[in-house]
Amino acid sequence: MQSKTFTLTILLFLLASGTLLAQQSVSHTSEDSLNNNLSKSSTTVGGYGDAFYQKNNVQGTAKIDLERFVLFTGHKFNDKISFFSELEVEDAKVDGGTTGGEVSIEQAYLKFNLNSNQYLVAGLFLPRIGILNENHLPNTFNGNERNYVEQFILPSTWRELGVGFYGNLNNLPINYSAGLINGLNSAGFVHGTGLIDGKAEGRNASANNLAVTAAVQLNLNNFRAQISGYYGGTIGESKRKADSLGLNSGIFADPVIIGEGDIMYSNGGFSTRALATIVSIPDAASINQAFANNTPKTMYGAYIELAYDLLYFNRNPHEQQFIVFVRDERLDMNYQIPPNGITDGTLDQNHIVAGFSYLPIKNIAIKADVRFIHTGAQNPALIINPNPVALPYQVNNNLIDLGIAFSF
Amino acid sequence: MAVSAGMVIGSLSSCATVPMYKTGITDNKITVPVDLFANSNFQLIQPKNLYYNIGLRKEADGTYTALLLRCTHADNQLVTSGSGSGFTCNLHGSKFNSEGQVTNGPAEHPLKKYPTQVVSNQIIIKIS
Repeated sequence: MQSKTFTLTILLFLLASGTLLAQQSVSHTSEDSLNNNLSKSSTTVGGYGDAFYQKNNVQGTAKIDLERFVLFTGHKFNDKISFFSELEVEDAKVDGGTTGGEVSIEQAYLKFNLNSNQYLVAGLFLPRIGILNENHLPNTFNGNERNYVEQFILPSTWRELGVGFYGNLNNLPINYSAGLINGLNSAGFVHGTGLIDGKAEGRNASANNLAVTAAVQLNLNNFRAQISGYYGGTIGESKRKADSLGLNSGIFADPVIIGEGDIMYSNGGFSTRALATIVSIPDAASINQAFANNTPKTMYGAYIELAYDLLYFNRNPHEQQFIVFVRDERLDMNYQIPPNGITDGTLDQNHIVAGFSYLPIKNIAIKADVRFIHTGAQNPALIINPNPVALPYQVNNNLIDLGIAFSF
Repeated sequence: MAVSAGMVIGSLSSCATVPMYKTGITDNKITVPVDLFANSNFQLIQPKNLYYNIGLRKEADGTYTALLLRCTHADNQLVTSGSGSGFTCNLHGSKFNSEGQVTNGPAEHPLKKYPTQVVSNQIIIKIS
């Protein structure tokens, strides 16, 4: 099986390099000269970040945090080949021996333009799943925090190593993408965080298990609709070790299967977006038996957001915006559990978020919002620190967020 | 959701296709027949060996606007939304309106415009 994986990877890279070599062999034409004139070798620097204050009214706690600062660098070697990267620091500081903070490469890939409609990427990239995974600049979404559905059900920002193919049809406003990336590691799944801790994110990922993703996107004027899917094995162990753990082995062994659909629409000052996704892990029982991490069999999430720019009819297109919004998020990381799992009602959540985003210019946002959280009851069997050692669990909570966001 | 679905069906009937015209480039000029605009005010131009499309739009006064569909943030190719009413970059989410002005960041600069002129029922786009 390993040799098949290796062969597949080699074939894909040969395909990419073969195409490029074929392009390089074309003699110089006026079109080539034009491309050279259009875009000489250049380096681009950009970035984004956000910071916010958050008060937890039930627990009586508050924090203020530079949640993200991301430095984006890109280099265009020529119009055919480019490099893109994002270097991220979370929580401003990483200090040896203490918890918190993270430094990571969020993207680092080469992009090979095949023509004006199609391109390949190779490296660490963000597959097209959901809305936020590709477009996560904090001044482009409402609320200080990213929506929870695209954090805990779709683990944005979700980057893995592999190759991706992107394109759009010539005569229809339809884009498509497909990717082959390393799979998730089910040994890393943690109760209550969905798929998040199974991601490798470019760090010593197992390549025994792989995943395929695909998306189709329709753009009609101010309307966009997308469906995407993911199918990937979660067992990175050798066959010998997998056998001993009672797990399947192979590229797509004990898979995670994801389906997602979303729409976005804007007209005048009004905009809306909605997303629904479901995650299936049919062999969750085997994973639980091997790793005791209470992996669920099914998770789901959905949200809908309505927003209106109060300044839309009093400005020209390049001036400030004052967007008021409300969003309803519903997610359950414990929707179906295998017989050897433990139900945790706190993972069944409903969030109502309301607030505003004030953008003095498009690249800057000042945000305020309140998040009302309602969850199911805590399973007494999961209480580690009973009252009065810890406060009793509250099924209703609310958070107040005030913050800033930028991108350039 | 139902409202959105209704709007989609309405839009599909009017702009389900994107008119695409493939051509070459000669002496840094692209030639496009005026006849292509008989039924539409927007045409996507795909010059051979160019890694970006050009959006060509007929204005109310009969002139033509040619936009290079290259994001001004990180040079990614843009995709058009149906009738050319807007252009989107999937890399970082920048959006541009039909005139090439930024409507969503992180891009900060408008799309590059090329001068056009009409000669003998041919639209000449001058690439510079």
